[in-house]
Amino acid sequence: MKLQFNINKSLSLRIAVYVLSFCMLLFLLVLLVFFFFSRKQIEEMTLKNAQIITNKSAMDVERTILPIIHVAQNYKWMLENKQQSSEELYEMTRRVVENNPDVIGSAIAFEPNFFDKEGLYFSPYSHRENDSIKSMQLGNASYNYFYMDWYQIPVATGKSSWCEPYHDTGGGNVLMTTYSTPFYKTVNNEKKIAGVITFDLSLNKFTDSVSSLKILETGYATVLSANGTFVTHPKEELIMNQTIFSYAAELNNSELREIGRKIQKENSGYVSSTLNGVERMLYFKKLSSSNWSIAVIFPKSEMYLPLHRISIILIVLVCIGLLLLTVIVSKIISRQIIPLRHFASSAREIAKGNFSNQLPVIKREDELKDLHDSFEYMQRKLTLYIEDLKQTAIAKEKIESELRIAREIQMGMIPKIFPPFPNLVEIDLYATLQPAKEVGGDLYDFFMLDDNHICFAIGDVSGKGVPASLFMAVTRTLLRSVAHDQMTPRNIVNSLNKSLSTNNDSNMFVTFFLGIIELDSGIMTYTNAGHNPPVLIHPNGEVIVFDMTKDIPVGIFDTFDYSEKTLQLLENDKLFLYTDGVTEAENKKEEFYSEKRLITTLCNHYRLTPKELIGIVSEDVAQHVNKNEQSDDITMFSIVYYGNKR
Amino acid sequence: MGEIPSKSFLTGGICTNIPYLLHRMKKMLISWIGGLLCCLQCLAQELPQLTFAPQWLPQAQFAGYYVAQKKGFYKAEGLNVRIVHPSASVNSVEYLKNEQCDITTQILTSAFAFREAGIDLVNIAQISQNSALLFVSRKEKGISELSDLNEKKIGIWLSGFDEVAREIIKSNNYQVQWVPVLNTVNLFLSGYLDAMTVMWYNEYDQIIQSGVNEEELNRIFFSDCGFNIPEDGLYCLDKTLIQRRGDLEKFVRASLKGWEYAKENKEETLGIVLEEMKKNHVPTNKAHQAWMLDKALLMIDPGSKNVKKGELAESDFVKAQNMLFEAGNIKTRTAFKEFYKPVMK
Repeated sequence: MKLQFNINKSLSLRIAVYVLSFCMLLFLLVLLVFFFFSRKQIEEMTLKNAQIITNKSAMDVERTILPIIHVAQNYKWMLENKQQSSEELYEMTRRVVENNPDVIGSAIAFEPNFFDKEGLYFSPYSHRENDSIKSMQLGNASYNYFYMDWYQIPVATGKSSWCEPYHDTGGGNVLMTTYSTPFYKTVNNEKKIAGVITFDLSLNKFTDSVSSLKILETGYATVLSANGTFVTHPKEELIMNQTIFSYAAELNNSELREIGRKIQKENSGYVSSTLNGVERMLYFKKLSSSNWSIAVIFPKSEMYLPLHRISIILIVLVCIGLLLLTVIVSKIISRQIIPLRHFASSAREIAKGNFSNQLPVIKREDELKDLHDSFEYMQRKLTLYIEDLKQTAIAKEKIESELRIAREIQMGMIPKIFPPFPNLVEIDLYATLQPAKEVGGDLYDFFMLDDNHICFAIGDVSGKGVPASLFMAVTRTLLRSVAHDQMTPRNIVNSLNKSLSTNNDSNMFVTFFLGIIELDSGIMTYTNAGHNPPVLIHPNGEVIVFDMTKDIPVGIFDTFDYSEKTLQLLENDKLFLYTDGVTEAENKKEEFYSEKRLITTLCNHYRLTPKELIGIVSEDVAQHVNKNEQSDDITMFSIVYYGNKR
Repeated sequence: MGEIPSKSFLTGGICTNIPYLLHRMKKMLISWIGGLLCCLQCLAQELPQLTFAPQWLPQAQFAGYYVAQKKGFYKAEGLNVRIVHPSASVNSVEYLKNEQCDITTQILTSAFAFREAGIDLVNIAQISQNSALLFVSRKEKGISELSDLNEKKIGIWLSGFDEVAREIIKSNNYQVQWVPVLNTVNLFLSGYLDAMTVMWYNEYDQIIQSGVNEEELNRIFFSDCGFNIPEDGLYCLDKTLIQRRGDLEKFVRASLKGWEYAKENKEETLGIVLEEMKKNHVPTNKAHQAWMLDKALLMIDPGSKNVKKGELAESDFVKAQNMLFEAGNIKTRTAFKEFYKPVMK
């Protein structure tokens, strides 16, 4: 399946990304914990390592020095307890050089005039020269050894001492130090200082061994004398030229000076400091046999270098792993959701109406199987439902068709040809009926009773739809039949009422207005059975609404006796009759068209012919309703009396 | 002692000095040959030549002369100056005596001693106006003023420069145990000595550079004890003065200019000094040389003394001569005008 790289379009990719994000978060957390603990571990291990290296180096030195110190102690004992001849003293110095390869020279230097025979200076001295050992007497006027550090300090302090390192320039730039220890003789029962035993030691072996020490990448070891002089250092210009304190002054680094003092005062310890712009760790250890110290120094950052390397490798590997994981997870999920795609296309097919479309086959018993079953159920139900719908639609169509026919029959019952009496010059009339549903309950009718009398009526059956339309048909039919027998509106309406009230099980009624105009006189008699009062429009624009009637609608009480009124129509007087469908026409805001607006419209158009007037009112009502659904039948009727033209 | 250049030279094992001196002599021979070649070059340029020998190996104590040479102040005066350095075995006055140099520096009290020994030295300019000597002690020894030195062990140089220190103690009737030391501060550092006579610009800094902080030390400057006896001055043989007075005047003028330049341009001067040290194969220690330069420049300033730079105050001369005479270091007195013959007008 083609992998879609738009995360919003691919569920598999989206899930893969979520899984990846979580894995990355988890990995980061693990890496941080790993990094933190490893750092601590490495720090401890490196410091331990530095300590071991330094201590081992110190032990190596001690191993060289301690036998020499023992020899010095033996010689001291011999010198203090036995009397030696000058030859024996020379021999003693020679023997120590012979037997100790690390000893370059040895002297037994006596106090001034201690050996009467030998004079002021007496210091038998043997030293290595090339491959042989030479002996000589060291002191003379130009080499007044009494004031040399190697002699003066042990004599003055009564303690053994290591003198500051020096270069034996004659012997090929050998770096040396001298160990001196005083010895005493008892003269006249008084213990007196007799002189000093010295051993000159080459430091080269020691410095070479320390210089070769490597700690991490650029870490190094250094040896400091008691005064802080650099005995070894990777920077050659520092060796023997500078002390740690002068170097600190040169670098203007007071912290380094304090480190130097710490090294002088303490036996061992760790220090962390920034030197030459690099944060460094330092471990130092003082040699137990002297006040010299060995220190190892290494950049702190190098401690973590292996960790950083491992971390980078780890990050790269995990990134590759996560990428693979994303691809694999995406693939697996894609495969798992293949049926979903089929379901999607099935859904589209079903939407098109193809309910029998084949669903994907799910062999597993999981959520997709549930989905499959749901789809199948939906397919079945939809098929049944659509079948029902079809039947219903057919039934509805049938009803609608019947209603259409009923409407046609209903409309056929009311006169629709205008002008109805083209030869009748005294009057002109026009009427419309617009049912709210397919068939309505309103009615109007007009017909000539004889040559001089025209009868017209308008009515509104209670209720709507088929029952109302049937009641309307009955009313209209009855009207025609009773009107020819009765010549007054009162009698017509009374007859009508009686007929309709009888067997009126459905309790329906009709508001009804009926008028008869005597054409030659213009006298109009009328009965208003609960209908809206008609409007009289004079040709001068005066508009008069008829009084409200007290008579009840037709069809309620069969014994009710309706009243009759008379009105003299003048030339060009116009009547406007309507049902409540006009004044109660509602717009979307549920506002009625209202009688007031109707009167205003009639006033504004008083000159118009009945047809024009009804057209204008229809337009105005339509404008008010503004496409809102029509709730009631709308029926209007207008008649104009032109006067006696005979 | 203000003449010690480095620790490596200070400290000495038993089998060091004889081969070392041979080595030095070899180096010196090479430098002499170099000098000879330089001399020939100067002859070609027809500039009068002067050979100047400071009293010790190259160090910031002589910074003004190296600067004058390097910046061409001598050349500008119409002089071709060659600077040579003495060795451990031959001092600069020997050079003067043997006419191996024309001018040297010496400290005032030593100049009296050399005259007493029959060398016809004359002071042609007094460069250092102040004493750089002091007694230094660790605070724990409780020596905060001069009287505290009474009955104490005081280190003092075996090879000279001890006159003023001894006179200060003597004039105050203190009883002290003088402990002669050769040339290191190690006996002081060992704690054996209660106090030690040191040069402010040299041994004092060596103590600091061995890990002792200044605040752990007490200082009693000789100048504060009424013995502000000036030190380094320029000396030549009387006959040289007669013969080459004009050239000597030029030398002093250019040297003073060198010192003035050094004061204004310490970092550059330090570079020149270190270069000179390297050229002469003397181990360098920048921090120590910087300290020395600072203090040497302080010594040059006459301060409240009624003299100009380069002049010797008669009162200083009288005080130094009386002190040496009374101590028995010299047997004859010299007139101020015989001793001090300034070349600068």
